[in-house]
Amino acid sequence: MPPVVGFVARRLGRAVLTLWFATTITFLLLRLLPGNPALAVATPNMTPQTQAILLRQYGLDEPLLVQYGKYLWQLVQGNLGVSITQSVPVTDVLLERLPWTLLLTGSSLLVTVAVGIPLGVLAATRPSGLLDRLVQVGGVVGQSVFVPSVAIALLFLFGLQLRWLPIGGAYSPGVYGGRWYLDVAAHLVLPCASLVLVQLGSYVLALRATLIDSLGEDYCVLATAKGLPHRKVVWKHALRNALLPTTTLVGLQLGFLVGGAVLTETVFAYPGIGRGIYEAVTQLDYPVLQGAFVLLAATVVLANVLTDLAYGLLDPRVRTQ
Amino acid sequence: MRLRLPLVAATALAAVAATAACSPSAPSESAGQGGDKNATLTVATTTDVVNFNPLLGNSRTDGWITNLMYPRLLTIDANGAKQPYLAADRGYSDPTTGFYELRGDMKWSDGTAVSAADVAYTINTIMTKKPAGNVVYGQLANVESASAPTATRVELKLKRPDATVVDEVGFWMNVVPKHVFEKAPDAGTFANNSDWVSAGPFKLTTVAKGQSYTLERVTPYPMAPAGTPNVAKVVYRVYPDVNTEILALRNGDVDLIANALPPAQVKTLQSTPGVKVQEVPGLGYAHMTYNMTRKPLDNLKVRQALAHAVDYEAIRSVVLQGQAVTTGSSPIPPVLKDFVKPDLKEYAFDPALARKLVTESGVGTLRPLTMIYSLQDAVTSQWAQLVKDNAAQAGITIELQGMDRNTYLAKTAAGEYDIYAGNFAIMDDPATNMALTFLPDGAINYTKVDDPALSALITKATATTDKAAQKDLIWQAATLVHDNVYDNVMYMQNLYVAHSDKWDGFVVKPSELLSVVDPQSLANARKVG
Repeated sequence: MPPVVGFVARRLGRAVLTLWFATTITFLLLRLLPGNPALAVATPNMTPQTQAILLRQYGLDEPLLVQYGKYLWQLVQGNLGVSITQSVPVTDVLLERLPWTLLLTGSSLLVTVAVGIPLGVLAATRPSGLLDRLVQVGGVVGQSVFVPSVAIALLFLFGLQLRWLPIGGAYSPGVYGGRWYLDVAAHLVLPCASLVLVQLGSYVLALRATLIDSLGEDYCVLATAKGLPHRKVVWKHALRNALLPTTTLVGLQLGFLVGGAVLTETVFAYPGIGRGIYEAVTQLDYPVLQGAFVLLAATVVLANVLTDLAYGLLDPRVRTQ
Repeated sequence: MRLRLPLVAATALAAVAATAACSPSAPSESAGQGGDKNATLTVATTTDVVNFNPLLGNSRTDGWITNLMYPRLLTIDANGAKQPYLAADRGYSDPTTGFYELRGDMKWSDGTAVSAADVAYTINTIMTKKPAGNVVYGQLANVESASAPTATRVELKLKRPDATVVDEVGFWMNVVPKHVFEKAPDAGTFANNSDWVSAGPFKLTTVAKGQSYTLERVTPYPMAPAGTPNVAKVVYRVYPDVNTEILALRNGDVDLIANALPPAQVKTLQSTPGVKVQEVPGLGYAHMTYNMTRKPLDNLKVRQALAHAVDYEAIRSVVLQGQAVTTGSSPIPPVLKDFVKPDLKEYAFDPALARKLVTESGVGTLRPLTMIYSLQDAVTSQWAQLVKDNAAQAGITIELQGMDRNTYLAKTAAGEYDIYAGNFAIMDDPATNMALTFLPDGAINYTKVDDPALSALITKATATTDKAAQKDLIWQAATLVHDNVYDNVMYMQNLYVAHSDKWDGFVVKPSELLSVVDPQSLANARKVG
């Protein structure tokens, strides 16, 4: 078997195992929560018999192992069950929200990388300069702030004081056609910016540190001694090696992005999966929560697989380990 | 090596294409777009609609939107008294026959008349289908069946005399169109999420899940000025975070916030230019109940000691910033002017008296008592701490157990608490609500009280159609509850809603469910700026 095929197969096998573990943990954690979903939709006039009917309807009165077996069997068939509160397939609930989450997390990841690489390079090539100091301070602050605090601050400044951007939602009601896309873009700016602000710091600091290390390596010193322009040494030689750990970081950050999206989408009234999780938690809608976590776990696992593959592409040594 | 760049580029392109394939798509222009150039009222809410079937609805926003589409038989005025809405008249023709006489000039949006058959169908469907979360089902316990002897008359055949059912069902039940709902495979689970046929001042036309709900004016609507609502459209927009909601009001993205404001935000918004804050009487109350199945809470003197170990005035002035009134420790809130018993006085905060009562109780050293409350209820979470501190002054130890709402509900249902702290949302009919709260099998009897004298009074009150006689029974029951500390009602919170000063004409009704967003209010709202 060629090393590449073995490398890919190992990564995919590990991904499937991780996904199974994540879905099992999700299933068990939800069952360990006190309370039952019937109580979440209970009214003072709901009798215990009605509650029991509701639980039976969703198979929540069966033994845990039976529930787990059914859950796995449905999962491999692509069936995520039916939402308790909305009485519609979970798949429909999630697919309605997925595009918004992809748009938000995807664009924030893209902006982070697009802004982070030049910033990291500039800071690393002028250590102790003004920009480097600003990057270091900003990076530490960015890592420390709470997403909703940033979100509210941005809303207050750009939405209320300056009135440049809309407050909340993904688009305005009653906007159609070409204007709709502009409206969506305007609504995306602030939630995207808040996610970028909180994750940019760690990305830039990591890149800066590894790039400074790379620039001190013999091959860079030799390249400089050979008279190669500094820009070429940085961008062509040092950056490629420095990008390896930061590529891993991008994969890892997707997990943080997902967590951040729950808070960001809630504050910005953005109709993605993060907000769906928030609503499902308040309603104890097991099927929606399970489905959302499976989907997010799959996304994070897939992102990490892609990161590993990209790593293998960038560093041939990894493929043969 | 040379192949890598194209490979990376191809991968990136594939990723972009995949993302684009499942990226959000623009909504198609619906029939409701354009046309009427009249004002649109944009209303903010914190929760999404769970479902559009009013037989099932359990979220606040569900209620606000379905109220605009499916009429209730009765409404309620600022004094908490029931008033005609779809039913022009109602009452009892004999002790076991209730009736509604409909106004007869309302139509469903497809042109069909709203008739007694729709009302009878709705009642019978609730009784047979028992839809999950339906609030009316429990009130129909004494109803045998509903019928429509004429196009405008509905009759309820009762199993036994019940003086509360006509008003309670009339106020709480949304009438659905029989000719639509009977075609559904099961009206009790029918999603009702498209092609709505409704009979309110506004008709739902566009839904952007998680985003907004657009309703358009219905003409004619007999209960609006000049037979038609003032505004062309009502758009509900969802902002889960209340801070974002307030920012949206301040910058003009929304005109009205439907949910009651947190007490801390009221004063700020009262002094905000361009914003008007409207007071809405509450119909509910905040209370603590003492679980009488757990010793020593079965001891009256212990319960009295606990009642005297709370500084209610401090809670109202500090936590609620003065936005609450005492009920005199009575389970009848002052807004229900026809029933309130004025001579009941609030338990005085007196730590010395509380100590004395504990000594007199004979239970010895009082064990630490647990108090459960929901952490999602910010107001209760704040006053719980004050209750603990106040009790400590009387030598009573209260262990606070704040928890998430679902755990709280589970513990409440299982009776796993010494003290329950929470809210009763809407107390619109004293007899009905006392039956729920104080009868041994009452669904929300958190005190676990079983007092034959109290049960007899409540049972008699629910069967008495004579208002004066019923009031006397309610007064006696309220006195028993007060004196025996079967419930420790702490305050009735006044609610506040905020709207843009460019709007007026709202009709204020008690409770958050109605406030200024009930059908009559929104039909009367007008843009003045």
